[in-house]
Amino acid sequence: MNGTIDIGLVVDRRPLITCAGELEVFSSIEDNLAQALPQDSCEWRRSMGRPIRNVHIGANFTPYSSKALPKGTQWDLIRQPLFHIYWTECTDVDIYKSTLRDDIDGWLKELNAKDITDWLVVVVENYDGKRTNKLLPRTTVLDKIRADFAPKQGDRCISVINPGKLESRSADSWRGLVSRIRHLLLVSYAKAVARLEDYVRQQRERRNEIGWNFMQYFQLQEELAQVLEMLGLNDEALVQYDELDALLSQFVANGITSECVNWLGEFQKPLERWHGLKLGPSSLSKTPSILELRAYLYAKQAQMLLLTNKVWEMASRCLPFLHTCTRELAILEIKAPPGAVACWLFLASMEVLQTCDKFNHADEVEEYSLHTACLWEYASQKLKYLGDLCGLMPGGEPTSDQLHTVVGLSAGMGDNPGPANSPSPTDKLKSALIHQDVFNKTYLELAELAMGTYKHIGRLRSARLVGREVASFYMSLGQHQKSAAFLGDLLRTFEQDGWQELAAQTHLELAECYKKAGDVGKLIRSCASVSSAHEIDNIIRWTYFDEMTRHAESLDKSLAVPFENIVKIVSVNVLNDENVIMLDTKVHVELVLESNLPRELVCEKVDMSLEAVENKETSKSNEKYCKGRSLSSKDLKPRDPMLQRLKIQRNLDYKQDKQLASAGIVSKFTELRRKDSTQQVCSSEFAHALEANKLPLRLSPGLNVIRLSKLADETGKFYLGQVALHVGKLAFVSATLPHRLAIEVKEEKPTLQLNKRTPTLISGVEQLMNIILTVGSHPIDPKSTIKLTSSRGLSFQIGADRPLATTLEFEVGAKPAYSSSRYALRVLADMLGKEHHVTVAAPWAAKPTAVTLNFTPPLTAAWRLHSARHRKWVQVSLTGQCEQGLTVREAKLDVAGVCEVDGKNASSSHLIPNGMTFSFMWELLIKPGADSPTIKAEFSVSYKLDEDSEERPYRYFFDINDYQTLYLLDADVEPAKGSEFCRVGAVCQLRLAIAQTRASRERSLMYEVLAEQSVWAVCGRTAGVVGFDGSELERPQTVALDVMPLASGHLPLPLVRISKYIPAEAGNDKHGKGDTHPRLEPFSPGQVYNASKGKQIHVITPVSDGHPT
Amino acid sequence: MAVCVAIIGKDNSPKFFACLNPDEELSFQYKVLSSLDVVEEKLSAGNKAGSDLRELYLGMLYSLETHKIYGYVTNTKIKFIIIVDSTNMVLRDNEIRSMFRKIHSEYADIVSNPFYTPGEQICSKPFLNNIRNIMTGTV
Repeated sequence: MNGTIDIGLVVDRRPLITCAGELEVFSSIEDNLAQALPQDSCEWRRSMGRPIRNVHIGANFTPYSSKALPKGTQWDLIRQPLFHIYWTECTDVDIYKSTLRDDIDGWLKELNAKDITDWLVVVVENYDGKRTNKLLPRTTVLDKIRADFAPKQGDRCISVINPGKLESRSADSWRGLVSRIRHLLLVSYAKAVARLEDYVRQQRERRNEIGWNFMQYFQLQEELAQVLEMLGLNDEALVQYDELDALLSQFVANGITSECVNWLGEFQKPLERWHGLKLGPSSLSKTPSILELRAYLYAKQAQMLLLTNKVWEMASRCLPFLHTCTRELAILEIKAPPGAVACWLFLASMEVLQTCDKFNHADEVEEYSLHTACLWEYASQKLKYLGDLCGLMPGGEPTSDQLHTVVGLSAGMGDNPGPANSPSPTDKLKSALIHQDVFNKTYLELAELAMGTYKHIGRLRSARLVGREVASFYMSLGQHQKSAAFLGDLLRTFEQDGWQELAAQTHLELAECYKKAGDVGKLIRSCASVSSAHEIDNIIRWTYFDEMTRHAESLDKSLAVPFENIVKIVSVNVLNDENVIMLDTKVHVELVLESNLPRELVCEKVDMSLEAVENKETSKSNEKYCKGRSLSSKDLKPRDPMLQRLKIQRNLDYKQDKQLASAGIVSKFTELRRKDSTQQVCSSEFAHALEANKLPLRLSPGLNVIRLSKLADETGKFYLGQVALHVGKLAFVSATLPHRLAIEVKEEKPTLQLNKRTPTLISGVEQLMNIILTVGSHPIDPKSTIKLTSSRGLSFQIGADRPLATTLEFEVGAKPAYSSSRYALRVLADMLGKEHHVTVAAPWAAKPTAVTLNFTPPLTAAWRLHSARHRKWVQVSLTGQCEQGLTVREAKLDVAGVCEVDGKNASSSHLIPNGMTFSFMWELLIKPGADSPTIKAEFSVSYKLDEDSEERPYRYFFDINDYQTLYLLDADVEPAKGSEFCRVGAVCQLRLAIAQTRASRERSLMYEVLAEQSVWAVCGRTAGVVGFDGSELERPQTVALDVMPLASGHLPLPLVRISKYIPAEAGNDKHGKGDTHPRLEPFSPGQVYNASKGKQIHVITPVSDGHPT
Repeated sequence: MAVCVAIIGKDNSPKFFACLNPDEELSFQYKVLSSLDVVEEKLSAGNKAGSDLRELYLGMLYSLETHKIYGYVTNTKIKFIIIVDSTNMVLRDNEIRSMFRKIHSEYADIVSNPFYTPGEQICSKPFLNNIRNIMTGTV
């Protein structure tokens, strides 16, 4: 079938055109005309609002005969001559007038007598160029004819230049003729079609009348369909066939009970022939069987569909058509030999499939595959049925009865040989029915095609179900491996969709398959699955359970079977109270299992593996899952990757010039990775495993609580891994538990701490410290000793009464685990160093540890020298550093006999609290003017912390240098001459008086006025040099400076400082090198007595203010 | 009179299955399962073209020699499947449609029941009775 119609078998429905007049004229152009008419399309306008269609109309020509003329009222006009043409070649008006006019008149009268208005007169001209020269119109034969016969319808008369003579001008007139005929013919044909349609409608209305025959009506309406087909309106022709189809279906469905449709009885004959459906041109026999009628109808529909390029629709209509046929055979109670209908159905579906195969463009295949998939399946089912019927299934031999059946069926199919390279469906079926090998091959081929097509269109479930059929076929072929593969796929599909009952059924089939294949391992697995499926009958479950245990006993090597649905972990609980489990204690875990097995299972061993956690894995993300101490069924459910939170990150792409090129988000969605479909049964080691407390364990159907325990003999973090139930060599192994439940096993080592009792340690006082010994998870040897060694200046002891020492050893003694004991350590540090070290050596530590102790002295002391002209005093201030107050007494100053000292202190004891300063004062009784050797002073005082402790001496050493007074300095501010008071803003005079008390090497002094700038303004110079010749002691040098007070009130005098002045040339002597600048050297505190230090001057406000002071 | 009614959850697992003849249940299960292919096909095709989203009735999914299988999908992707004997001429498209509507309202009732956890198998006896009545057309 490729869209062209083989004319031979198709009824010619082209309209008839009669020809009258000069037939020899017509015969020369008949062929041309017959070809030219259908070449171009013509608009077909129809009544009743039907759309305008472009149609191609052809015609058959016949000589005119007045007897053949139909009556205008006939319904079957379509079969009668429709259009009438009078041909003439006459160009001579005279001849026309003499003979032609009468001839045409007679012809027209005959037509009019039958009410026929569809006629045309054609004048064929042999162009000779004369006509153009004619000046007068209406003088040609054509004009005369028009005037005589068709004064109002000029289009009924036409002239044409004889196309036989090949001239350019003739083409135009030829085209005009053809289109005129086409148009007029269509007008008349349309009338005929309308008449036919009316008649068909009328006939259909009468369908419930007695005597109405479907077959007659069928031919009538088919005629209409053929007319439409002839016009190229294949879709409308299809509608006609569809109407017939529906009408027939309705009659069969509803009419069988009614008496009016006794014509149906003609179909109720036993089926004798079941020739295969043949698409393409076909004819219907006079008395068709219902199958033949249906097949013819479908073939017609298919033809129309193929002509409109709807291969897919043809395919999609096939299966419903086949279903209709079988149903109608049943309704009409048509008897057929067994297998006959199946043969016919198989042949029909194969024919359609083969037809589809011819359309092998990608888009066509895509379109029809959706419908062919089920056809392939249908065909394979039918073939399988036939195989069953004829004893062709593997493992069987056809009996003689069955062979007879085959012969009968083959005969009924008839002969329909295809070309040698592509056997027809009939050929295929016949050879399949004869040879078992061919049957097997054909069946598997069809089933594979069905599965492949189903997979191609995405109907995986349907493909799997075909696979189920194939599996059972392979099973009977003895190819158990192949069978198991199909069943395995099927099982996965069922489990994915959660169809437990079907999954259980498949397990059952799988078990059967493995049993036949002798695969004990897989058989046990399937038996376990079957026996744990609640959907299956208990008796079957028990049988399979027994089978499982029987085979398990005969196992010669260990076999692991995954838990899956056989046993479910309901919950896992870690029973230990502490989060961290100590080494050498027992880990207890409670495991709740739900056994779906129908009977008690005696397990010799129940293990739960522990997986050591790699250190790297202990990242933060895992930690949050480790907190829980139990896993419930909710945690054990596998997480749906679709519900996972996506890890989305920002992603910015920059160009080379650091500009943003694009911004987006990236997700590392890894869950969609292909998962390993082969399940890893035993991945973890059961070397470290928790074991059941009571063995053997009887695992009864339903919930079982199992306690597992293990001595923690290794430190580290462990996840609970898998559970394994051992029955002989058979082990049921669970999937690895989610890594949320971790057991941490730790070992605690003994520790030694050295703690202060007081916040600060004070040197020079005996204090107590704590040694805290904590025994860890394991007791320590009581004989082991702890050794403490101190740095210099530090001594200690444990016992209260033993003397202090620099090294100390003590035995630990018998101490239970987790006990902690405290030792009081007496510590005494001398005051020389602040930082001391204690080195602790313990037997469990690899090397001794050094502890640094910081001591602070109990007191700090400072001294100061005070002068009053020539008299000198020493002030010593003590500051307490102890938290508690210190009691101090017997303060002494020893100046090593340089001079006398006169204490100004009370003899009682004093309490110095922390941070407070207490001062002592002594006067140094030295002679003025005498030498001043360095005084090595030693201050000593006794202190004690509290009443009970013994007194300890505190010593403070210091040197006193240059304590003799060398210069006396005095200053005075006087108002300017003429004024009584110093006033703000008025210049006053600062008088300095500097006197030398002893002869000294320094000849020059520099004085500097260091006035506070907000109080005093020094006018003019602020510093100067004063020289002494050393002749006159106590005779002051005076200097007057101008100063101005800037504020009122009692103001302190400007501060004056004097320093040794070393001129530049003198410096040269000393240093030898060019020190061109003079230098200043300060005096030590005792050398200058400044008498003006406490002086103040009363400054009053200026007069101009008008305020009295 | 329908011979089988099935309710399939959105994960394609069966939630409810009722057959007039319990012996046939297994074979109907296979049929319903393979009809899910067509349901999925129709749903994905419906998404492409802007078809009427309010139309829950999917029409006939496919037909076998003996049975016709019809489908209906709620907005929450719960699928209702009805299997009808193909010799049954009484049930036309409209009857099937109204049957589906009744099942839908029954389903809505059972889901509203606080003692039913959505997504679990429906094993309520009154529900089974109601569905049976719908199947046999006594409602």
